[in-house]
Amino acid sequence: MEYEIIVGLEIHTELNTKTKMFSGAPYHFKAEANTCTNEVDLAHPGTLPCVNHEAVKKAIELCTALDLSIDPLVRFDRKNYYYSDLPKGYQITQQFHPIGKDGKLQIDDDGIKKIIRIDRIHMEEDTAKQFHLYDETLIDFNRAGVPLVEIVSKPDIRSGKEAALYVEKLRQTLTYLDVSCAKMEEGSMRCDVNISLRPKGSDVFGTKVEIKNLNSIANIKDAIEYEANRQKEILDDGGHIDQETRRFDEKTMTTVTMRKKEGSVDYKFFPEPNIFPILISQEEIDHIVSEMPELPDVKEHRYIEVYGLSTYDASQLIANKELALYFDEMMKSSIDPKAACNILVSELVGQLTKRGEDITSTKVQAKDLARLVELISKGDISSKQGKEVLSVMLDGDDPDKIIEERGLKQLSDTSAIEKLVEEVLDENPTSIEDYKNGKDRALGFLVGQLMKKSKGQANPKMASDMLKDKLAKR
Amino acid sequence: MDIRTLEEMPISERKAYALKKVKGLQDKLNASITIIEDDEVKADGKLMGIPVALKDNISTKGIKTTAASDILDNYVPVYDATIVKKLKEAGAIFVSKTSMDELAMGGTNRTANIGPCHNPYDLDRITGGSSGGSAALVAAGAVPLAIGSDTGDSVRKPAAYCGIVGVKPSYGRISRYGIIPYASSLDHVGYFTTNVEDAALALEVLAGRDDLDMTSSYEEVLEYSKLLDANVKGRRLAIFGNVYDAISDSSIKEAFDKIIVSLEDKGAIIKKVYFDGDLMKCLFPTYFIIANAEATANHSNLDGVRFGHRIDGDSMEDVMMATRTRGFSSFIKKRFVIGSYSLFEENQERLLKKAQRVRRLIVEAVLNELKEVDALLAPASGSIAPRLDDPSSDELSDEYLIAENHMVIGNFGGLPSMTLPMGFKDDLPIGINITCNAFKEEEMFDIALAIEDITGLKGHVKEVL
Repeated sequence: MEYEIIVGLEIHTELNTKTKMFSGAPYHFKAEANTCTNEVDLAHPGTLPCVNHEAVKKAIELCTALDLSIDPLVRFDRKNYYYSDLPKGYQITQQFHPIGKDGKLQIDDDGIKKIIRIDRIHMEEDTAKQFHLYDETLIDFNRAGVPLVEIVSKPDIRSGKEAALYVEKLRQTLTYLDVSCAKMEEGSMRCDVNISLRPKGSDVFGTKVEIKNLNSIANIKDAIEYEANRQKEILDDGGHIDQETRRFDEKTMTTVTMRKKEGSVDYKFFPEPNIFPILISQEEIDHIVSEMPELPDVKEHRYIEVYGLSTYDASQLIANKELALYFDEMMKSSIDPKAACNILVSELVGQLTKRGEDITSTKVQAKDLARLVELISKGDISSKQGKEVLSVMLDGDDPDKIIEERGLKQLSDTSAIEKLVEEVLDENPTSIEDYKNGKDRALGFLVGQLMKKSKGQANPKMASDMLKDKLAKR
Repeated sequence: MDIRTLEEMPISERKAYALKKVKGLQDKLNASITIIEDDEVKADGKLMGIPVALKDNISTKGIKTTAASDILDNYVPVYDATIVKKLKEAGAIFVSKTSMDELAMGGTNRTANIGPCHNPYDLDRITGGSSGGSAALVAAGAVPLAIGSDTGDSVRKPAAYCGIVGVKPSYGRISRYGIIPYASSLDHVGYFTTNVEDAALALEVLAGRDDLDMTSSYEEVLEYSKLLDANVKGRRLAIFGNVYDAISDSSIKEAFDKIIVSLEDKGAIIKKVYFDGDLMKCLFPTYFIIANAEATANHSNLDGVRFGHRIDGDSMEDVMMATRTRGFSSFIKKRFVIGSYSLFEENQERLLKKAQRVRRLIVEAVLNELKEVDALLAPASGSIAPRLDDPSSDELSDEYLIAENHMVIGNFGGLPSMTLPMGFKDDLPIGINITCNAFKEEEMFDIALAIEDITGLKGHVKEVL
C-alpha cells in the first residue's frame, strides 16, 4: 500500500544568554565541570528562581521571527519528576501558557515552497549532564538551569528530507537572530521526532512512534527514512505499530526500542508559586522587535530586489550568516553589489579556504575589500592586479598601501599616456603603415609596446583608444 | 528582655548574657538545635550587638541548618539568607538556630527531630509551632528578637501560647530567599519580640525588596518604630464574630471582651462581623491541600544527591529513594502523600484547584470587610497551650476548624497579622490577634500598641527556674 509519512518535530535549543534561566550563574559550554553553578542551580534549600529577562527577550524575538502570537503575560509552571539530573525535583517550564502559539516556517524543497506550522514555543530550563561510568555516575551541573526554548511543530512534515530542511531553516533563523548557537554536535540543539504512517488519502493519524535525542540533521533524515520504512513493512504485513519511544543507532543506521509506552507519565504540573506572572507591555515587545536583526528571508529578498543579485548569488551569501553580514558591511561603501559578491564569494572565500581560514577569522576587513572593488571598477588597477592585491591583503594590509608599495597603480593620466603614445608611434613607422593598410594586428602590437614602456601600468583601454585617435591624425 | 534594656548593657556583654541564658535553658526547653558561640559583631546599626535567634530553616552560611529533619542533619549551607545578611548589616549577633516542627510542617513543635520544645510557662506544655524554639527563647528572656516563619500561623500561634509578640507582615514585605520553604504561596518570614516597639524596629531591619525573591515587594519600608502612635480614636475595629462564637472557654472571651471595652473607651469604633460559616469551616482543609501540594514539590530537592544526609544505594534512583525513606519522619511522608494525591492530574480539579478557588473566595470576603474597617480582632486561640501528652483535638469541631485556624486568613491573603499577649488563664498566657489590609503594618502596630497599653504586658517574660 502507499502511505503518507506524518512527522512532527520537537526541538529543544539552548538560548545563548550570559546567565542561566533562573539564576545569575554564568554558563560556557567549554567550562570545567561544575564551575558554572551556584546555590540556585544546585537547588540548595531556600533558594528561589529569578527570571532571566534576556532569555524572555530572545524568546520573544524567536516567536516574532516564526510568526507566533506572543502571550504578553509570561507565566511558569512546575513539571514534577525525580531524576538525579534535575536538582529541584521539578523543572520550571511553561506548560499551561507558552510564550508563543501558532506560528510557521517556510521551507524550500528544490524550488517548491512549503509552510510547516509551529504549534508552540515555550521557555524552560535545562537539566544537568550525567556521565554513567562502570559503577558510578558523574554529574556536571553546569548545564542545569541553562535557558531552553522548546519549538513544537505541527505534524506537517512529510519526509526525512522535509524534516532536514525544516531543521536547517530553523537553525539558520536561530543563528541569524543570535538567540542560540544551535549546535547539534554540542547538544545545544536537540531534536525529538514523532512519526506515524497512514494510507494515502486517509485523514486519520496512525499510531505514532517517538524517536528521541537525534543529534545531527543527517541523523534526523536517516532516522525518519528508516523508521517510515520499518512501519511500512509492519503495516504491509498486516501488523500494528506499538506506541513507543525509540532511539537512532548510528552504527547500524536503524531505530531501536528504548521503552514501550505504559500510559503517560503524570508530571503533576501546577503553576510556579515563586514567580508571579510578568506582564510584558506592548511597547516593550515593539522595542524588542524593532531591534531584531534582519532575518535571512528578508535579507535574501533585499539582495535580489534592491541589489539585483541573482537568486544563486543571493543564496550563496545567505547560506552563511557571517558571509552575509560581511557582505552587508562591504555594501556600506556604495559599490557595485555584483562585483562585491563576486570578489567575496569567488576570490576571498577561495583564498581563505586554501589558507585554512574562514570569514570570521580573516584579517581582511570588509571596508578594505570594498575599497578593492572600488579601485578595480574605477580602473585604477586591473582585475588581474586586484587578485594580486587581495593575496597580500590576507595578511592584513589595506589595498591602497599595497598598490602604492608595489607600484601597481594603472597609468590613467591622459598627458602621460599621450607622451608614451607619441614615443611609440615615432619609434614604429612601419606599424603605422601597416595599420593604415588595414592590418588590425598592428594596433595590438603598438598597444603592447606602450604597455611595455609603461611597465604595465598604463590603462590598456585608454592606451588603445588614444593610439587609434593619434593614428587617424598621422 | 527587650532591646532598650539590653542597650543599657555594654555591647561586649550582651552576647555573653544571651548565650548564658540560651545554654542554661537548653536542658529545660530544648529550644536550640545549634548554639552559635563564635559569632562576632561586625557592623553597627539598628540592632548593634543585639543577640538574635534564628529558626533552623533559615540558611546561615557555614552554620548547620537542619530544619529539624534527619535528611538535613549534616547540612551546612554555602550561602546566607537575605534576612541573615540584613540582620548582620544591622549589627545583630546570632546565638541560636532554634527548634521547629520538622520542615516547619506542624503546629506543636512536637515533631522536631531533636524532640519537642517545652513551654517556658509550663514545661509539660507545648510552645506551639512550627516556630516553637524561637518563641520559647524570647518568652524565657534569652533574646529580645527571634526569627521564625509563618505558613498557617507558625509564628502567631506560638506567640500566643508563650505570651509574646508574634508578627507576620504582608506577603512580599520580607524576602523569603534562604528560608527553607514549606509552601511558597503561603510562607512568610515572621518574628517574635516581647513588645510592640521592638516589633516595629525589627521590621525596619528585615523588610524590603530583594531581587533574589521575585515575590518581594517594592513597597517603601517605613520607620515603623518612630511612627508608633497608640491613639485609637476613630479607628474602626471589627470583632471576628465567627471565631468569637466558636470559642467555648469563657475566660478567654472575657479577657478579649475587656480589651475591646477598653479600646472602645479610647475612642475606637467597634463592630462585630461574620463571614459565611461554610467558608470558615473550609479554612483548614483549603490550607491543608494547598500547603501540602506545594510542599511535596518544594521538598523534592531533598534527595541526597547534592547535599544532606545521603543513604547509599546501587543506583542514583536507589540513593534518592533510600535517602528520602530514611530522612523524613512518617508525619512528613503522610503530608507528601496528601500533597501528591491532590496534584495528580485526575485529582487536581476537585482538590488543588478547588482549594485555590475557595482560598480566593475567603480572601475576597475578608478584603471586602476590610474596606469598611482598619482591622479584624480575635482571640489567637480558643485555649491555652495544650499539654505535650494531650491527645489531638477534635479536628472536625467548629472550635477546631474556626477558632484554631482563623489566622491562616493572613497567609491566604498575604495580609499583615500579629498576635500579642492579652492576659493569662491559669497562669498560662493567652493572645489576641490583629489582621489588617496589605502593607498596613503601621496601622497594625498602632492598634497593637494601644492593646499593649491596656494589658500592661509590655516586655513581659517568664523566668524559667
